[in-house]
Amino acid sequence: MFKVSLRSLLAHKLRLVLTATAIVLGVTFVAGTLVLTDTISATFTSVIGQVDRGVAVAVKGDPVATASGRPGAAQTQPLPGALLARVRAVAGVSDAVGTLQRGGIALLQNGRVVGRGARAAMLGASWIPDPELSPFRLTAGSGPAAARDVVVNAATAQQAHLAIGDTVQISYSASAVQTFRISGIATFGGQTSIAGEGFALFSLPTAQRLLGAGDHYDAIDVSARPSVTALQLRDRIASALRGQPVQVQTGQQAAAQAEQSALTRINEFVGTPLLVFAFIAVFVGTFLIVNTFSILVAQRTQELALLRALGATRGQVFAEVLSEAAITGILASLAGFGLGILIAALLVDLFSSSVHLSIQISALVVSVLVGTIITVLAAALPARRATRIAPVAALRQAQPEIQPLPRVRIAAGIVLVAAGTGALLQDLLGASASSGPSLQELGLSVLAIFVGVALLAPALVRPIVWVLGWPVRARGTPGRLAGENARHNPRRTALTAAALMVGLALVTAVAVITSSLEASINQAIDGSVKAHLIVFDESGGGFNPQVASTLRSDPRLASVAEVRGSAVLVGDVSTQVGALDASAINRDVAFSMTAGSAASLARPGTVLVDTTDATSQGLHVGSIVTMTFPNASRLRARVGGLYTPDAIVSGFLVSIPTLSPHVTTPEDEVVFADPAPGVSLAVADASLLHDLSRYPLLKGFTTTQYKTFVKSGLNTFLNLIYILLAFAIVIAVVGIINTLALSVMERTRELGLLRAIGMTRGQTREMVAWESVIIALLGAVLGLGVGTGMGIALVSSLHADGITATSVPGANLALYAVAAALFGLVAAIFPAIRASRVDVLRAVTTE
Amino acid sequence: MSSIPPAPRGGGTAGDSAAGPLAPPAPPPAPTVAPAARAEAAVKVYGRGDTAVRALDGIHVEFAAQRFSAIMGASGSGKSTLLHCLAGLDRLTSGETYIGAVALSRLSDYQLTLLRREKVGFIFQSLNLVPTLSALDNITLPLSIAGRRADPGLLDAVIRITGLHDRLRHRPSELSGGQQQRVAAARALVSRPEIIFADEPTGNLDSRSGGELLDFLRRAVDDLHQTIVMVTHDPFAASHADRVVFLADGRVVSEMRSPTTDSVLQVVRHLGD
Repeated sequence: MFKVSLRSLLAHKLRLVLTATAIVLGVTFVAGTLVLTDTISATFTSVIGQVDRGVAVAVKGDPVATASGRPGAAQTQPLPGALLARVRAVAGVSDAVGTLQRGGIALLQNGRVVGRGARAAMLGASWIPDPELSPFRLTAGSGPAAARDVVVNAATAQQAHLAIGDTVQISYSASAVQTFRISGIATFGGQTSIAGEGFALFSLPTAQRLLGAGDHYDAIDVSARPSVTALQLRDRIASALRGQPVQVQTGQQAAAQAEQSALTRINEFVGTPLLVFAFIAVFVGTFLIVNTFSILVAQRTQELALLRALGATRGQVFAEVLSEAAITGILASLAGFGLGILIAALLVDLFSSSVHLSIQISALVVSVLVGTIITVLAAALPARRATRIAPVAALRQAQPEIQPLPRVRIAAGIVLVAAGTGALLQDLLGASASSGPSLQELGLSVLAIFVGVALLAPALVRPIVWVLGWPVRARGTPGRLAGENARHNPRRTALTAAALMVGLALVTAVAVITSSLEASINQAIDGSVKAHLIVFDESGGGFNPQVASTLRSDPRLASVAEVRGSAVLVGDVSTQVGALDASAINRDVAFSMTAGSAASLARPGTVLVDTTDATSQGLHVGSIVTMTFPNASRLRARVGGLYTPDAIVSGFLVSIPTLSPHVTTPEDEVVFADPAPGVSLAVADASLLHDLSRYPLLKGFTTTQYKTFVKSGLNTFLNLIYILLAFAIVIAVVGIINTLALSVMERTRELGLLRAIGMTRGQTREMVAWESVIIALLGAVLGLGVGTGMGIALVSSLHADGITATSVPGANLALYAVAAALFGLVAAIFPAIRASRVDVLRAVTTE
Repeated sequence: MSSIPPAPRGGGTAGDSAAGPLAPPAPPPAPTVAPAARAEAAVKVYGRGDTAVRALDGIHVEFAAQRFSAIMGASGSGKSTLLHCLAGLDRLTSGETYIGAVALSRLSDYQLTLLRREKVGFIFQSLNLVPTLSALDNITLPLSIAGRRADPGLLDAVIRITGLHDRLRHRPSELSGGQQQRVAAARALVSRPEIIFADEPTGNLDSRSGGELLDFLRRAVDDLHQTIVMVTHDPFAASHADRVVFLADGRVVSEMRSPTTDSVLQVVRHLGD
């Protein structure tokens, strides 16, 4: 039987190629993701492997009480400078150094930031003079000895043509631009950058000053005398520091922990999101494979019946179809794996030339298994149908029969859609309190909806095609025949359209969410933001309050107000607390109060709470809220008022004087300002930008510019989603090509007849093109419908988080429908040409 | 319309012009009106070299307008090839075929398509209909492809004589084989072609349905003044024609006017020897 499978495959190369394309594309995405994450992980691992060489013991603060959403923020509490002396005093310690490290450094050359976008931000760290403890190695020059010395990484030096003695400017978000002299060039763990990120090294006091750490350290690294082991030394230091909020680990433990957390973060930010999209691509591919094998089984009815008549058992026929699927799956998966490596290589090359691709056997195994198993599973249903073919069918001139839609299928579809929708709403509404719904729960609900709609879709084909076919029918007989063909086999049409539905539904849902987000932010800016100028750090980091001081001294600006923030624990819920001056209320920011008064913020120890938090935590005016800050200090604040949240202001709010005692390094998140009396907005804006020129990472916007900025940010996000979903859409288009090509083959005689009685080649092509457009538009209708529903559900679940506006971007949706129709036309090209070249004579003669 | 009355039918004149198997093929009769279709020195070779087959070997033949003609011959005699080349479905290796005064060999695929659409009707042996369309839509299909409307009077007349008036909304799969072939015949008639080619139209039918279809074709010629050229291997079918042309090895070997089943059978037996 295996021989039959192989023969059958080779005899139908086109069929093989079309089926395989879907698998290849899906596996490409999976393999590309796996190779990419493996490569990033391997790079981090190799780098981290070098970092703590020679470090016997590492001392760090306890983890911060609450997770901080800020990039580059320290994850452990700072160590007071005095601890270093106590560590050094422990017997067996050879050397101990305090270290400091922060992201968000900008390096400027002649006033211009080196690098672009995300790659502009460098790591700032303290130079460790003891080579035994340092992960850095000088390749030229000397360490930063003077206060104005800096050592930069080799890749950055090469990229910006920097040499020893050159002058550069450096800015950390928390400080203004300062001039430095390059004293040396270094590598990190043998690499010219840290996995693509540049670094700048300063003497410890300079780093403490520049990075705003006061006399604190992030960590203390210790080397041991030969007389003690790392474990012994760790225990000695731990007992010496007993009672302090610190964790003491051996160098190996610290390295392992760092590696683990890096890998977790890689998976969280790169691996998982990409795998989600890879999964979507594979899911869409599944539709295509089911469809292709269904058509193939229908077309091979006679051949399979002959096998049965010659004595093949049902099991053998089943195995025959499945082994054909398995061979296709394995071959296509291997091709997909190769293509995936290629794409990963291109992406890696785009970001860093110094990184080597890591291709693991596990990636190969997973890719091939995913591709093959999906193909075999998807083919199982059609294969089962193949076993039901009666041997007598071999003797009939069998026309593939169109069976009516079984009730079971409709029932299953309704149940799945209802269950999926219910689960989705429950995930969303139930989760809005704190953590947010889990990706798996959401995914399962959405999956159920998609499969349910796909099951129901055949029932919708006739009415929808009838409506969509209206303009097409007006195009004469080819259009009318196209509509009839699309309606002829509803299951096939529905399954083909459903593949396109998935991609379009996801695009639509994201478009609805981003559009609603934009509308909500605009609404909030118009509603709560009274100030006309906004300053913030584009990378999301905080910045030094001296920025606000600079702006206050600008005579063209007035009502400058700072907004600060900190992560806090309220009860056991990790959240953010914001802080602003009471004077800014109703001048820079307005609140719509539902109870109490905003002015109460002026009283020390007062907190304003948004109505969502108030409801979920049972707070009212006069309640006491206990907040725990990252440095473990506590604040008992009295609720002075409740307000309605929007996309700009939400959560707990205190005054800056109330917050200040609880944060080690005060950082502003946003600064608001207005033009001084008599100064035009344009002049004030220009003056603001001049003031900010010393802080290259900060953005200064008018509220109008800010809206545009938000819009472009959301559009960038939307474009990213388009790119990630492009695979799924391409697979769906391949699905349309596949269905059309196979149905053209199946209808050879019919096409020949039409040609014989006077249909021109052009009309024949037109007919196939219209059929394709109808299928694509059906997919668009289903996708836009399902996607809009999902988007609105998601948005309404975010109402409590300030996404108050629901906006369905009609123009985008119309664009998607047009794009779908165009995809349909593109998909029709090859099948239409094939259809128009049907040999009239072979089609109408019986033999 | 021609002033020539339909040729008399019946057994009386059988054998009048029926040549024996050894007689040379009769020269084409002098046409009183231009023939509806004709082939001149038509040669069709399939394959090349040793495997080449001469399906048509320099055939000369004419088919008169407003007559029902049949082409007979054994398997491989070239009868279907002749029909396909006359109808513009296939191209000759050399020689020429004409529909009316139009020479087909110089027409492009597009011109041939339009010619088939405007001037030719077809009835094939099976799978004659588009399965997604109703019987009525199938009947009017050549007209709607051409963007024309059916002449309501003619459409009514055709539907009446085919007896299909209560089956018009049905799809082909809901019709019997005989009904399907009558729909195909109605389709061929309703666009008022200059000539209808039928390729074994009764080949897949039982004798009763076949008889009904042949009667219908006969009436189309007698009442509607159509021209029909039919390929068949069935002497009973051929007996409905005004004239039968016999083919063997790609040549016309005999012909007969006003045939009967018996007279045709005789010739077929001789040819088979």
